[in-house]
Amino acid sequence: MGQEFVLLISASVFCVGTAGFIIRKNPLIMFMSVELMLNSVNFLLVTYSSFLNSLDGQIFALFIMTVAAAEVVVGLAIILTIFRTRQDMDVDHIDVLKG
Amino acid sequence: MFASSWLILLFPLLGFIGLSWYGSRISRNLVGLLGSGAVGASFFMTLVTLSNLMFLPPEERVGQVQTLYQWVSAGSFELNLAILIDPLSVFMFLIVTGVGFVIHIYSIGYMHDDPEYSRFFAYLNLFIFSMLVLVAAADFFFLIVGWALVGLASYLLIGFWREKPSAVLAARKAFVMNVIGDVGMVIAALVIFEHFGTLNFIDVFAAAPDKFRPNDDAMLLITLLLLVGAFAKSAQLPMHTWLPDAMEGPTPVSALIHAATMVTAGVYLVARCHVLYELAPVTMYLIAGVGGITAIFAGSMALVQNDIKRVIAYSTMSQLGYMFLAMGIGVYSLGMFHLMTHAFFKALLFMAAGSVIHSLDGEQDLRNMGGLKKVMPLTHATFLIGALALAGFPLTSGFFSKEAIILSSYHAEMGNIVFWAIAVLTAGMTAFYIFRVYFYTFSGELRSPDAHPHESPMIMVTPLLVLSTLALLGGFLGPWVDSFLGPVFGHIAEHPHDNALESIALLAGIGGIATAALLYMVSKERLALFKEAMAPVYDLLLHKYYVDEIYDYLIVRPTKAIGLFLEQKAERDGVDYVVDQVGLQVREVSHVISLWQSGKVRTYALNMIVGVVTILLFVVFM
Amino acid sequence: MLEIATVFDFAHDSVIFIVGMTAVLASLGVVLCSSPIYCALYLIGHMICLALLFLLYNAEFLAVVQIIVYAGAVMILFMFIIALLGGKKEIQENSFHRAMALTFVFTLLGELYLSATVGQTEPIKGDIPPELFGTAKAIGLELFSKHIVAFELASCLLLVAAVGVICLAKFSFAPLRRRVR
Repeated sequence: MGQEFVLLISASVFCVGTAGFIIRKNPLIMFMSVELMLNSVNFLLVTYSSFLNSLDGQIFALFIMTVAAAEVVVGLAIILTIFRTRQDMDVDHIDVLKG
Repeated sequence: MFASSWLILLFPLLGFIGLSWYGSRISRNLVGLLGSGAVGASFFMTLVTLSNLMFLPPEERVGQVQTLYQWVSAGSFELNLAILIDPLSVFMFLIVTGVGFVIHIYSIGYMHDDPEYSRFFAYLNLFIFSMLVLVAAADFFFLIVGWALVGLASYLLIGFWREKPSAVLAARKAFVMNVIGDVGMVIAALVIFEHFGTLNFIDVFAAAPDKFRPNDDAMLLITLLLLVGAFAKSAQLPMHTWLPDAMEGPTPVSALIHAATMVTAGVYLVARCHVLYELAPVTMYLIAGVGGITAIFAGSMALVQNDIKRVIAYSTMSQLGYMFLAMGIGVYSLGMFHLMTHAFFKALLFMAAGSVIHSLDGEQDLRNMGGLKKVMPLTHATFLIGALALAGFPLTSGFFSKEAIILSSYHAEMGNIVFWAIAVLTAGMTAFYIFRVYFYTFSGELRSPDAHPHESPMIMVTPLLVLSTLALLGGFLGPWVDSFLGPVFGHIAEHPHDNALESIALLAGIGGIATAALLYMVSKERLALFKEAMAPVYDLLLHKYYVDEIYDYLIVRPTKAIGLFLEQKAERDGVDYVVDQVGLQVREVSHVISLWQSGKVRTYALNMIVGVVTILLFVVFM
Repeated sequence: MLEIATVFDFAHDSVIFIVGMTAVLASLGVVLCSSPIYCALYLIGHMICLALLFLLYNAEFLAVVQIIVYAGAVMILFMFIIALLGGKKEIQENSFHRAMALTFVFTLLGELYLSATVGQTEPIKGDIPPELFGTAKAIGLELFSKHIVAFELASCLLLVAAVGVICLAKFSFAPLRRRVR
């Protein structure tokens, strides 16, 4: 399978993730959407590293995974704390920072 | 060699800063000690500088510039934090710090019961510092800085008793008049910079004679604009009205600022810029003319005033007129000499008057005084010495300086008989009015029965004694002043002795004293008759020639009317409306924009995506 | 007749195609399911598909990392949170916001694809021997020689994250709110 297919898959997953992030109201699922977006980019990096016969892409993907893991852990803890204090899981209700 | 001269300026500045920060927390004695000590140290450094200067040969004494550091260097324009040490500035240092020191000591006694003792001394030190900046400036920039600072200090000190409405009004009047002068100075500096490309005194004065012929337009413009500043600061016609009102301030202030030092700044300015003025003979005649007219005008007003400080204030204006007359006819060192002797005897008169006022609990009206000769012997003696010096009684300091100016006004190159006549007439008036004050105050019986006059404390009398010594003997410094200032001005040509003129001038002074004695000592009936006969003139003089009223009608009221019109029409319906609308529209628009900031994460994310899509549109299709 | 190599290539390509489409479908499932627990399951499926794709593109090490870190650790965390908060279904509204979002997302998709394929690029060719490519050894050599600083920084990042999470989870925020009021 050629590069176009890889690009198409990656772009599709990325856009699905974007759509999920905008549409869904559950912060957990929004987080999952973010993971989708990160994964799509990871996928692109790994495949292109294979196409170009260079390991830089894979190293980059590895770091992205590290950062994503840290981000997920902190993000989930924040969500947990918000839920504990507000008893509410709708991000639209968390708008105390508006002007 | 003169690097230590910076200390002259530093001490009063430190005094001002220290007293304004810590003044309210330290004891009164310490405040007085610090305030006076700062000026005393400054005086000591002036003496050091003077001795350094005297060791130099005369031709090297001019143009000693001490640069602390370079402040601005933009292209050809340079501005250094520098002081100019030459005989003229050191001469002024001596007067400012010397007389200032004596008056500081006097203030310790005079202001002793004032609740805001430390504020007073802080202001006084600020004034001394400002005056020293003015005098020490090596370029027009710092001259203007000092000029404005002096105006500020004067404003603060005139309005020192801020709970007194008249004092606040007087302070405001003085400030406005002085600022008019400042504007003239600033424009003059700009014109100078345009023509010379520098503001440095030495460069400007060196370049001026080659660059301009006498009475060039530019030269006239510069000198006249500088003169606006000089006249405003020195209370010459037509900008004199603030000085009598400035007597609302405490008496030491009147003695220091409005007699001895600040008001002489205008004279100093003309002396400092004499190179420029010599290139503008027309302006020189104007200076001499205005000086003469001010002298006689102010002298005549002093004849009838009933407030003891006002008489002396008008007398100050009159004597400043003399100084300007001397400047105008080109005998600069005589003008500076008179400036010095005047500083001695006028500060003395003010302080003696202050001593009288102090002992009468604030009474300033001559008609309520009298008979103080017996209770205040020292004050009486010192006042008498001051009065004699002011009247030009032979062998007192005023005699030497005034006589010399009167004679020069005829003999000097630019003098003529009119100037001489004015000067002599003024000398007669001077003698008359100061002895009128003297007789009113010290002879006869006390006219306010419930007052309990007493001699002032030693801390106030000692300065009087010091100054009276100077006022008595200062005249013998005349030849020294002439030779000391010679490197700056050149020496005055000797003029022939003319016994007739000399004796007339002498007689004018003595005649004035005799007339006053005749009217106020010997015969009260004759005084009443005299007043009757001269009623219209008396009225005119008492109302100060109605100058304040004329200004009121010509300037203040039209300005107020225009201001009222502008306030109601232009301001409210024009400017305010526009400003309000700007505010309202911004508020409306920002209200709409603020709706975007909903606080909803998803909306923000959508906005971000819209942005990314737009940018990518450009990247892909452009 | 088809040669063996061609048949193998065809099989390889069709496996990639099938797994790729499964990954896309699974991602759609993540977004479209209304219950968080199903979403999480779909996401695990997606991760596994990606891991397979990594394998197919000669990145064995990353495939394993993907399984362990993502499908293992991260998703387990998600599961715990869902279990803790309760997998409530959310009510979806058919709003203007949604229409806007979808419009822009599809535009974005088109643009991404166009921007990736349109225009000239000059790729850099690496020089990794094929038998080593994608193995733990190759990645380790690369990571601990060229990227050692970044690697250490990443470990610091993880440490900070761990401390941060402990702070967030351990301390109660109720007193803070009362004090601010």
